[in-house]
Amino acid sequence: MIELAGVRKAFNQGRPNEFWALNGIDLNLAPQQATVFFGPSGSGKTTLLTIVGCLARPTAGRVRLNGQDISGLPERFLTGLRRRTFGFIFQQFNLVRGLSATENVMLPAYPLGGDWRELKERAETLLDSLKLSHRRTARVEWLSGGEQQRVAIARALVNDPEVLIADEPTANLDTALSNEFLGILETLAGEGRSLLLTSHDPLVVESSVVRRVVALRDGRIVGDR
Amino acid sequence: MLFRPAIIALILASSANVAMVLGAAPYAMDVIRHWDIRSGSERQLRLERRTYLMSVLLSVVLATQLLALLLFVFNADKMAPVFIGAMCAAGVLNADPYGYPALLAQIAVFFLAAIWLAINHVDTLAPDYPLVRVKYGLLLGMAPALAAACALELLYFLNLKADVITSCCSRVFAASAKGLSGDLTALPPVPSMIAFYGALIAAVAASTYTALRRRGGYLVAVTSLAAFAAAIAGVLSFLSLYVYEHPNHHCPFCVLKSAYAFQGYWLYIPLFAATACGLSAGAIQPFLQTPSLRVVALRVSSRLAGVTAAGFAVFAVVATFLILHSHLILIAGVTP
Repeated sequence: MIELAGVRKAFNQGRPNEFWALNGIDLNLAPQQATVFFGPSGSGKTTLLTIVGCLARPTAGRVRLNGQDISGLPERFLTGLRRRTFGFIFQQFNLVRGLSATENVMLPAYPLGGDWRELKERAETLLDSLKLSHRRTARVEWLSGGEQQRVAIARALVNDPEVLIADEPTANLDTALSNEFLGILETLAGEGRSLLLTSHDPLVVESSVVRRVVALRDGRIVGDR
Repeated sequence: MLFRPAIIALILASSANVAMVLGAAPYAMDVIRHWDIRSGSERQLRLERRTYLMSVLLSVVLATQLLALLLFVFNADKMAPVFIGAMCAAGVLNADPYGYPALLAQIAVFFLAAIWLAINHVDTLAPDYPLVRVKYGLLLGMAPALAAACALELLYFLNLKADVITSCCSRVFAASAKGLSGDLTALPPVPSMIAFYGALIAAVAASTYTALRRRGGYLVAVTSLAAFAAAIAGVLSFLSLYVYEHPNHHCPFCVLKSAYAFQGYWLYIPLFAATACGLSAGAIQPFLQTPSLRVVALRVSSRLAGVTAAGFAVFAVVATFLILHSHLILIAGVTP
């Protein structure tokens, strides 16, 4: 369970160009379901996602994960929490060029230590489950957009996170690839993971895998269904 | 006199220390008055964001004070040729009225800094900043001591004049000298040797017990302080005599010189480190019951006690080695 209480986020606070990206978000997100934050550009979707995923800290308010306050944790604790609890799929995928698909998938697990062979096996199993085993040794810049996204998904899953966070996951995909991505989401939701997405793509919002849509505008919640 | 690298470094370190603590004071007041971990207010989150930065900066500045004591004594020793009558640091510190007060203040700052660093370290090991008020309160409490140490150091260095004829260790640390140094120097060897080894054994035993059983932190602090006092008294009353192989040479500083193979550093570094760790183990004892610290504070306390035991043991071994290798017969009937 993720709970947000009075979350506000300002950029350039105290300066003439001060901007409040989030302005009082109160939300309870049930576990093991797919939730989409829906809204126009500048509505605060990505900011909200980065705060939930501990990539940014709120200016005011608290975020709690299973009852524990995570928004005020010292950085040394946040690092471990991010690594174990959250998997991130970025809009631009953010894969490391020059490395193979398998190496990219393995990267987030390196700081945890563990056996390298076991990790490689896990990475290859994930790529296999995403129908990408034939491309595992290829450098990521040689892969198509859809393939790159699947590598990004595998990378997000390598530490077996409880919550998967995806920022505009279908923004760079055509309809066929978007449907393929939604199919993968369906599988992940079936595994009992919590999925948090931002999107303004009707294909995602109307998908059967999505259980909840939270509409945002100007940093406030304007709809919840 | 000021334009010596060591003096410039000491003044810079001390000034930075005071400036940093004074700069942190408004923040410390803010933390003490308004800290509320349950609140999600802007003020609370701002305090949380800043505390990490402030802790790191203060840690660096206070850690320099641990080294500053060593540099202070080393510099005093190195300046001996500049002053007529000075043979070692004792004479240099005696060259103006602020020398010994500055040294004592520097020693006090050393122990205070060590205690603050230990509390800060424990605080950073918990996810909910349990000691944030304690450590900033302690910082405010330490501020006058830090400022006094800085002022004494400045006064000492500013008042040093090369044409002053100073008295050296044979006058300062003589049984006939007035004050605490004279009283300690005049202590009879056998009782002070019994107190010396008794206090060291007690400190090592208490620290070892705490390191292994993870309890008794207060006892470690008390025995460490007692062992420190007994060790300094022992150095003045009998250990120095064995080192110099001279029945009237009680100086605690000459042992730092190259003529004595810098043996003093082997004595003083373990002694000061052990005492600082022992006091720190006691200082974190009140927080062992804090829910988020139960495990980590015990672990830190145990480690500090381990270092305390090792430090006093090394000091005792080095002291015993120096006594056994001396040609001086100090106690009738006992030949090393």
